[in-house]
Amino acid sequence: MNSMTTRAERKQKIVLQSIAFIILGIAFVGLWHELKDARATGGQPASEAILLSALSSLLNNLYIVLSMSLVAILFGIACAFYLEEWLPATNWIRRLIENLIAILTGIPSIAYGILAILIFFSYADTLKEAIEAFPLSENIEAIPSQIETTVFYAEALTFILMVMPLAIKKTQEALRSVATPIREAAYVLGASQWQVLTRQVVPIAFNRILAGGCRSMSRAFAMAALLVGIYTWHYTTEPGGMSGRFILFLSVALVLSIFSSTLIWVHGPDSAQHS
Amino acid sequence: MGNKIEISGLEVHYGGKPALNRVSFDVHENEILGIIGPAQSGKTTLLKVINRTLEFVPEATLNGTVKLDGVDISTVSDVYGLRRRIGMVLPLPVGLPLSIYDNVAFAPRAAGIRSKSQLDELVERCLQQAALWDEVEDRLDTLGTKLSGGQQQRLTIARALSHEPEVLCLDEFSIAIDPVTTMRIEEVLKTLRKEMTILLVTNLVQQAKRLATRTAFFLNGDLIEIDSTDVIFSDTPTQQATYDYVNGTFG
Repeated sequence: MNSMTTRAERKQKIVLQSIAFIILGIAFVGLWHELKDARATGGQPASEAILLSALSSLLNNLYIVLSMSLVAILFGIACAFYLEEWLPATNWIRRLIENLIAILTGIPSIAYGILAILIFFSYADTLKEAIEAFPLSENIEAIPSQIETTVFYAEALTFILMVMPLAIKKTQEALRSVATPIREAAYVLGASQWQVLTRQVVPIAFNRILAGGCRSMSRAFAMAALLVGIYTWHYTTEPGGMSGRFILFLSVALVLSIFSSTLIWVHGPDSAQHS
Repeated sequence: MGNKIEISGLEVHYGGKPALNRVSFDVHENEILGIIGPAQSGKTTLLKVINRTLEFVPEATLNGTVKLDGVDISTVSDVYGLRRRIGMVLPLPVGLPLSIYDNVAFAPRAAGIRSKSQLDELVERCLQQAALWDEVEDRLDTLGTKLSGGQQQRLTIARALSHEPEVLCLDEFSIAIDPVTTMRIEEVLKTLRKEMTILLVTNLVQQAKRLATRTAFFLNGDLIEIDSTDVIFSDTPTQQATYDYVNGTFG
């Protein structure tokens, strides 16, 4: 498949990137207003602050970030296989999804964190009574289970929106990197689509798929780090636990990102191709 | 001799652009049919129709019938089984990124053969038939892609033979191989002819003259002439265009 981008594709990319940046801008303005309100209450933290705290507490748990992004990534890889191998390139559903993915992957991870706070927590008022019964706490045990559940779903949705498109995109790129002649050579030997996929395409593309998964997970950790960072910056006075988490998440994100680049670098983008 | 393949009224279009125009001819059993013609004359398309890989080209439309042993191939439900009955050697050698052994054992395994001794025997026989066994005998577990171009092409021939096809299609197999190796493979083809029907698409008209029992000349998607090789390469083929092409005074 041709990897050269045409003029039309570049144009499309510019439009999509612009949309992504507009969304980012809106998110920033929104967050600034929210935080201003929270500060204006002076001492009495707004419900958003409590929710943010709940979110941070949840994010404190490394395993939650890890397992959530893993589920999102695995689902994303499955989606990519379906899109790339079963739907024809002209299928309108595939084109729609690919365009959506182009928008979603163009949005920086911080915007997702902010969106998570703004959109998914806009239902905070309904939980206000429950929230006010409990003091602001970083301890996950102290957060009412209702809020915890809301936060959990909100976070899961954010992860799906943020991690999955990237996983889909990277997996699709990996699958496309398997040269067409290799598939053809397997098909003329009477291999079924499933056999071509499992015996040729996946073994060849495996490193790239793995690299894409790491990149996606790195993104999840970057977002988690940013959320924890925002919380630390605004709502805690004493340095300590939270900033430690911030650094931990950021390092995990960095390590995963470097690992993913190394995978591609060591095996070479062309090693999968027939030489 | 009976007819192995019967093609009637075959028309192929790529997105409205014609590639084959109402082509009809038969391929006899155990013959080597040379198919010659300049680029864009529909030779490769013809082979793709026969093993039904044209289905991977979304914009291609097909009319007419192709019968293999009297059965219309478009009605065959087991397309993978059909492809195993037809060996295909593509112009550029593509070693699957597997070991030499696994390259040859790929098709038998896909067909469900698991027995190690059976596979060993098959791999050795196919590599010998493709004149490659002596060179790779002691390194069957190295990557197929590490072989030289000519060796890889012989590997693809061994692969095409590994599923014991009834029809062997060779699409310009010799463009990546040196003349000496080409000669060796040509000798192999002559012996294989006893077991299978061979379709030899070639740009080298002399190769068709050397090997083919009959030769078909295609031009711009039309079958200009099909006759015994002696007639095609004589001074008096039916069509002037055939004479011009085989004598190099074309155009």
